[in-house]
Amino acid sequence: MIKKTNVINISKMNKFYGKFQALKDIDLKVEKGGRIVICGPSGSGKSTLIRCINQLEDHQSGSINVLGTLLDDNIDNIDAIRREVGMVFQHFGLFPHLTILENCALAPMLVRKESQANANMIAMEYLERVKISEQADKFPGQLSGGQQQRAAIARALCMKPKIMLFDEPTSALDPELISEVLEVIVSLAKDGMTMVCVTHEMGFAKKIANRIIFMDNGQIIEQAEPKSFFDNPKNERTKLFLSQLM
Amino acid sequence: MKNLSQSLSLIDLIRKKILVSKINTLVTLIFAALTLWILYLLVNWAFIDAVFGANNRSLCLDPTIETGACWSVIAARWRLILFGLYPFEEQWRAAIACFVIILVAGLSTLSYFLSAKNLSLLWLGGFSLFYTLMRGGIFGLTPVKELMWGGLPLTTFIFSMVIITGMPLAVLFALLRRSELPWISRSMGLVIDTIRSLPLLAILFTFAIVLPFVLPGWLIGDKLYRVIIGFTLFFACYQAEIIRGGIQSLPGSQEEAAKALGISYWHRMSRIVLPQAFQRAMPPTVNQFVITFKETTLVSIIGFFDLLSSANAAYGTALWSFAHIEVYVFVAAIFFVFVFTLSRYGAYLENRLNVTKH
Repeated sequence: MIKKTNVINISKMNKFYGKFQALKDIDLKVEKGGRIVICGPSGSGKSTLIRCINQLEDHQSGSINVLGTLLDDNIDNIDAIRREVGMVFQHFGLFPHLTILENCALAPMLVRKESQANANMIAMEYLERVKISEQADKFPGQLSGGQQQRAAIARALCMKPKIMLFDEPTSALDPELISEVLEVIVSLAKDGMTMVCVTHEMGFAKKIANRIIFMDNGQIIEQAEPKSFFDNPKNERTKLFLSQLM
Repeated sequence: MKNLSQSLSLIDLIRKKILVSKINTLVTLIFAALTLWILYLLVNWAFIDAVFGANNRSLCLDPTIETGACWSVIAARWRLILFGLYPFEEQWRAAIACFVIILVAGLSTLSYFLSAKNLSLLWLGGFSLFYTLMRGGIFGLTPVKELMWGGLPLTTFIFSMVIITGMPLAVLFALLRRSELPWISRSMGLVIDTIRSLPLLAILFTFAIVLPFVLPGWLIGDKLYRVIIGFTLFFACYQAEIIRGGIQSLPGSQEEAAKALGISYWHRMSRIVLPQAFQRAMPPTVNQFVITFKETTLVSIIGFFDLLSSANAAYGTALWSFAHIEVYVFVAAIFFVFVFTLSRYGAYLENRLNVTKH
């Protein structure tokens, strides 16, 4: 049997904001091609956890190893990891002073040192993939929320990341726009992209995840395959959380 | 028909908005009359009863006729007002130099020059041309010491030097002030707060008069440049806080999104954060430009003949001392043209940058 390699390996990780402990003894392993969905009540540390993976938040103890690189105080390591790990935010984070095309082509040009023509080609390729290539020359403010989030996904993909992080990608969207964004993420999952996704969309979680992680109070309470997680939760807190959702 | 309905709606508008009640109507009429009366007096003074022509000084002083403004003083002394102590026969050089600065300032507004490289090349060229023309000493131009520079060329030179060198300095100060390393941000904060808490006059005075006692000889340079350096520091500290305000008004998600893409600090600043910060800081920045332009008149205190002090000199002789109002009106008009152009350009920039929002 071929042992699957872990692309994310977090062990005994603790995160503090001053005296407040936001994450407690986190152990998390994600194998290549893994599709992890993290859920839990608000304030449970879900977003903090995935923001630690690309070091938008630093951790105080324990270790985080991403793609074979140990994330410590070394800025070069952190930059190297950020190039390989794409992230999609709740509020899109598109650059409002640049067109959609420029938003997508910027990082390939600045970070991957692609020529402008090449970067534009890459950008158009992924904008087509998320089906908004006709919006390429518009500014973010001229697009709907769903289109903006798809553009943000395309922007992350332009860096050809090995891992994608989604931080509540549909929470800021109008209900009727959610499905167009989820469709894009589902198609990424089908292509074998390794992803870690924080979401409240349980139907979507069931559909894409190969593992669901439930967090509360900064701790991982339970992790299981979707079927057993939804049908047969073990922990009381998980049961309570799921019963509130249904 | 269309005209009629339009004029009807105008009357409607007046009726609804202005002539609402008896008191409202009365106040409107009183102020309308007052405005018209002041306007009548002004037009009378400035044009109808005014005396023109350089040789009509005696007409202005003739007690037997009622006269308005005596524009003869401008006709006779305009070269002193515009060029100060600059040698009379060489004033064509000062005129061209002044025109160069204004032209370069105008060119900087074109989108072609709105990049750091092009803009700095443009101004470097502009300033060298200005310096060559004003200072002379080469190409057969008679040398003219900085102390003899004056009037409008001096004012525009000081202003543009302060802005062009102060702006990059302000950006640097703002970024250092926001440094994550506390000892850098705190010491920058201390420098900014200290300089801002000093009156500009004191700073100019220190740089012009006190500094030569402390500095080694080779570092002293000309008084004009010391004054410009002091002025630039002062401007940079205020402008740094304006830029910092612009940066801090951005949602943190902008920098985070750029970080998550692996974009480096300098690229994050130059491509993501600063362009948006400048966009947001545009109104206070234009405000700071306007204030700085008017503050250039303070250099008169340390013996420079900027526009305002050469104007003082223009009526400061027994010959024209009665005509100070006309001289001040003339200078005010020049200042108005510059400041108004600045604020209109600011408004235009704001509009253009807002196209990206919606």
